[in-house]
Amino acid sequence: MIKLTIDGKQLEVFEDTSILKAAEKAGIWIPTMCHCDYIEPYGVCRLCSVEVVKGKRSRIVTACNYPVREGLTVRTNSERVKWIRKIIMELMLSRWPNVPAVKEMAEQLGISKPRFESKEKDEAEDACILCGMCVNVCNDLVGKGVLGFSKMGIEREVVLPYNERSEECIACGACAYVCPTKHIKVKSLEYERGAIQDWSLASKTAIYVPTMQAVPRVPTIDEASCINKQTGGCKACQTYCEPGAINYDMKDEEIEVEVGQILITTGYQLMDLTKMPQFGYGRLDNVYSSLDFEHMLNSTGPTNGTIQCKDGSVPRAVGIIHCIGSRDENYHKYCSRVCCMYALKFAHLIKDRTTAEVYQFYIDMRAFGKGYEEFYKRLLDEGVNMIRGKVGEVTECRVDGEKPFLKVACEDTLIGKFREIPLDMVILCPAIESNADSSDLKKIFSISQSPDKFFLERHPKLDPMSTMTDGIFIAGCAQGPKDIPDSVAQASGAAAKILSLISVGEVAVDPIKAEIVEERCSGCRICNNLCPYGAISYIDEKKISFINDMLCKGCGTCVAACPSSVITGKGFTDAQIMAEIEGLLAI
Amino acid sequence: MAYRTYLMVCAGTGCVANNSMKIKEKLEDELLKRGIHNEVSVVTTGCNGFCAAGPLMVVQPDGVFYQLLKESDIPLLVEEHFIKGRPVKKLMYTPPKEKSSIPKMSDIPFFANQTLIALKNRGLIDPEKIDEYIARGGYEALAKVLTTMTSEEVIKEIKDSGLRGRGGGGFPTGIKWETCKRMEADTRYVICNADEGDPGAFMDRSIIESDPHAVLEGMCIGAFAIGASDGYIYIRNEYPIALQRLQVAIKQAREYGLLGKNIFGTDFSFDVRIVRGAGAFVCGESTALMASIEGKPGEPRAKYVHTVEKGLHDKPTCLNNVETWANVAQIITRGASWFSSIGTGDVSEDAWGGSKGTKVFSLSGKVNNTGLIEVPMGISLRQIIYDIGGGIKDGKKFKAVQTGGPSGGFIPESLLDLPVDYEELTRVGSMMGSGGMVVTDEDNCMVEMAKYFLSFTQAESCGKCIPCREGTKRMLDILEKITTGEGTEEDLVLLEELSYMVVDSSLCALGGSAPNPVLTTLKYFRDEYETHVRDKKCPAHCCKALIKYSIDPNICVEKGHGCGVCSKSCPDGAIIGESKQVHYIDLMKCGKCGICYDSCKFNAIYIE
Amino acid sequence: METQIKSKENFNPRIVAFLCNWCTYTGADLAGVARMKSSPSVRVIRTMCSGRVDPTFVLKAFKMGADGVMIGGCHIGDCHYSEGNFKTLRRVEFLKIMLKDFGIDPKRLRLEWISASEGDKYAHVTNEFEKELRELGPLVLQE
Repeated sequence: MIKLTIDGKQLEVFEDTSILKAAEKAGIWIPTMCHCDYIEPYGVCRLCSVEVVKGKRSRIVTACNYPVREGLTVRTNSERVKWIRKIIMELMLSRWPNVPAVKEMAEQLGISKPRFESKEKDEAEDACILCGMCVNVCNDLVGKGVLGFSKMGIEREVVLPYNERSEECIACGACAYVCPTKHIKVKSLEYERGAIQDWSLASKTAIYVPTMQAVPRVPTIDEASCINKQTGGCKACQTYCEPGAINYDMKDEEIEVEVGQILITTGYQLMDLTKMPQFGYGRLDNVYSSLDFEHMLNSTGPTNGTIQCKDGSVPRAVGIIHCIGSRDENYHKYCSRVCCMYALKFAHLIKDRTTAEVYQFYIDMRAFGKGYEEFYKRLLDEGVNMIRGKVGEVTECRVDGEKPFLKVACEDTLIGKFREIPLDMVILCPAIESNADSSDLKKIFSISQSPDKFFLERHPKLDPMSTMTDGIFIAGCAQGPKDIPDSVAQASGAAAKILSLISVGEVAVDPIKAEIVEERCSGCRICNNLCPYGAISYIDEKKISFINDMLCKGCGTCVAACPSSVITGKGFTDAQIMAEIEGLLAI
Repeated sequence: MAYRTYLMVCAGTGCVANNSMKIKEKLEDELLKRGIHNEVSVVTTGCNGFCAAGPLMVVQPDGVFYQLLKESDIPLLVEEHFIKGRPVKKLMYTPPKEKSSIPKMSDIPFFANQTLIALKNRGLIDPEKIDEYIARGGYEALAKVLTTMTSEEVIKEIKDSGLRGRGGGGFPTGIKWETCKRMEADTRYVICNADEGDPGAFMDRSIIESDPHAVLEGMCIGAFAIGASDGYIYIRNEYPIALQRLQVAIKQAREYGLLGKNIFGTDFSFDVRIVRGAGAFVCGESTALMASIEGKPGEPRAKYVHTVEKGLHDKPTCLNNVETWANVAQIITRGASWFSSIGTGDVSEDAWGGSKGTKVFSLSGKVNNTGLIEVPMGISLRQIIYDIGGGIKDGKKFKAVQTGGPSGGFIPESLLDLPVDYEELTRVGSMMGSGGMVVTDEDNCMVEMAKYFLSFTQAESCGKCIPCREGTKRMLDILEKITTGEGTEEDLVLLEELSYMVVDSSLCALGGSAPNPVLTTLKYFRDEYETHVRDKKCPAHCCKALIKYSIDPNICVEKGHGCGVCSKSCPDGAIIGESKQVHYIDLMKCGKCGICYDSCKFNAIYIE
Repeated sequence: METQIKSKENFNPRIVAFLCNWCTYTGADLAGVARMKSSPSVRVIRTMCSGRVDPTFVLKAFKMGADGVMIGGCHIGDCHYSEGNFKTLRRVEFLKIMLKDFGIDPKRLRLEWISASEGDKYAHVTNEFEKELRELGPLVLQE
């Protein structure tokens, strides 16, 4: 602890405390305009200048970064200090006369009109006052170093490198937050980039709300991009969170839960549309996936639910292309089941919200569910253009003097002609496919996958939610593409199956186990190493092998291997199988 | 192979710019032609210091000094001096107002009044040959340090010598080293600050150009004393010759095992890297310099935690100026007591108690002998300007001398007998700085001078803190107002107040010293400011807005017969008048360039 | 034992198939559900794992008049019991050598990896095996 005197007040503070902090503790206000608690003091506004007295000599230092020293005497309000602050405020006022933060500070210090006339006067209310907080936040706290200063002296300004938009910027908004004059504004740029998924699914900041409809709707921290997780620094969100809800010590943890049954409902993923470059996704502007478009339709989405092209204009014609990757020999042979109906919904909403022409490019219209066909009929009455035929490609066309548009080339099989249709926006309906890591899951649960990689049910008709492994159930798109009603139905069924087992209270275990006839075991130990579950152990005293019933899964590998034939597989004894063979070959 | 005569041709930047390399080639050609190239050798040396006399050459061993050489002089010179043995008088130095020339360099007052320590080898060795440096006792000090001394002994020797930082601050070098050594750290650095940014100052460049090994040896000794194994030389890229000589020197030192691993077979290893600066003035400030080496923007930070505690890469760092490093080896070789016998005050009790040794100044401005000089501390300004500098040019009247670079203060005639040392210069409002010395005469307007130097520091301000960024600009605006005749009495008050505030509250020494020229001129030449403000006149006829050119009709007709030279030379076509008639200046058109004033042979044109 | 003269023309081979409960047996089931035509000559014996198939079973089947024996298991790496099918793989290799010594064409013993979803593969393999056995003709064992 260090003892010092500030304005006659004796106080004791920790080492490495700045005078500013010490004064704060003593309840003494020192003005600052370039300091915030989360970053290293920068010491450029010099408003926090105080007088440090040593013997007869005194000197001016800045309180924000001057570390306290034993026996220090500080004057925060001497005439000399007041005089310095006055001139600094005059300098600032003369340059930025209309910035509220500057005006307020000047008022607090009792300065009304500067004596200087500044040639560099900036009369904007949100002028940059070069306090450097944004630069420091970005460098030291966020660790991105996107902002910096350029030019020297009076021409100094805060810039992005080369005055260009930085790819490094994670749009965390920290700079805009600390900016005392609101000079920095965070602007949404994603619209300019074309691909909407940028704004929706990818996390842009280290802490974010996954989706506006997330339940519970709380922010989550992305460990990979969180500065704190990497350096232990930043903690900006914690400082800003008034209720103190953020806890960095929480870690991803593996929790082991003992359960009797498992229901796998891991869902699906959409096919990567960039695999099919002919449709231009990610390459051409205004080519969206159905999920992107769903985001656009959302009233809390990036466009607040209005349907618009990248340049903000309302599309004149929109095309919806079905079966991208589904029912396609090159990708997925199966039908994704849901696209026809949501494509019809899109058409309806586009018709509802805009005056655009809508084209549906389909192979077959599969409106199979309850009320679906009726909806399809309604759509036809609404004047949606239905074109039966696969789309060859989507290209961009430029005509002088007009904005570029998209051209869809397809064969209309109903009229038997090749057609090219100009559109402003194209929505692709990508195939539903099994998750990329479903094979790992399959191994973990010892269940099977059908050739299309969806999990295999025990029986397609009689037992569509069980798997070959007892106690493991599947439902939803993990089992195969299906829409929401079907998923709900299957999941309910699976839940009922699980509950029925729970309500019984006990489970009948397969009696299929291996057993050693002790008297005849020679103790050769061949079986010991065969068992993948380590169920067979050797008993030294008796010099025989022994099978642990609870570990044995009954595969019978040991039975087949025993040279003395003293292991019997219950339910599959040698005799039983021999008899089966005899019986089978009797005729 | 020994030669009977050596011709030391100066290859410092000043002389090279004045064609000395051509002179050297011509000399070699001529010697070859005359067949005495085996007897007379031409050597290129670093800066000799007497730049006003360049291109120059010293003939050794006789010590005859030739100046202002032209290629056409060479055949005669070779013929007369080197063949017939008759030194050529007309190419020798003749003091102003005297008739007979001075043949020997050591007799010329410019050289006679100097004491050489840092510049010991200038003009005597080829800076690109390490052997010549070694032959003059080079690397002896390093050997002594590494083989017979402990680091504590080295630090004590430097402390006892009273050596203080030659870069401007005057911080006692020994104390700096000691603090740096005391800090607990796994790595320490030594840095040589060769980022000489003062306009008109070139002592660091000159030292490196004429004796790069002295700097390297000093750094090596310093590194040993503080326990560093890495050194940096931060040199501005605008010094190509110095840079190249340093590179050569480092390469040679490495080859000789004087840099690198296990120097002199001891455990001590040290190597030096060159970092090239982009020429920002503020990068001469230690923290900004280190930031620049680290690859960050060259901006200073508050030095409440010293760089000897947390410097480069947050490690204890010992940064000294080129000249300081160049003194180190000499102190070790000749002893602290020898060094401390030169200079003022007493440093045995208080390290700040005096200024010891010598200081190199670059003498420029309105003196006859401009150039680089090394003088003992405590010498008076009058001795420097009149004895070494040879007095004011064209017999004009001395007005003020500015010391310490662009942020130094102006010292008036009344203080000419001031002994030059750190404390005295600071006391009168100026500073030692890195050793710039600009002499002004009666033709210089002090407001204009203050404005000139402030415009430099203002433009070189990094812009980080408000007092320096905004304050200096406002000061400059006020000075601009004054020099254009729009200043008021209030402006003077405001200017003074602002100056003191900038000094008091700036973040680094650049801002802290930038108002010095303004403050000292306000202090010693306030009447000039007041004339500008009250009478809207510039007493020195410098401020264009406050003067007007007129033609005296009587002189014009009577003496010049309306010759019309002025009218022809005027770029603005502002002078009207028939031949043999009186000429007039159209003040609406006059651009106040002063060409007519210079062109009139009859002094008919005068300034109001 | 009664020996019948079997003529190639109206020869219907008898195939005994040991199918693992988790993969090939289910696959066979799927083939049935999917109405795939598979060889009617196959007579299936379910075992929990292909690793349960004792070589003596195979020999017994041949002795009892089978013309071919097929063992079906999970794909390598997919075994419900982790590594039972590895054991099978090794046993079958030895068994084939033994069959040769007994004068039985090793082609009459087939080891196939058919997963639960590969109903089509099951149908295809059995049909192909039947065709092959037809070409080989009935198995005549020397007393």
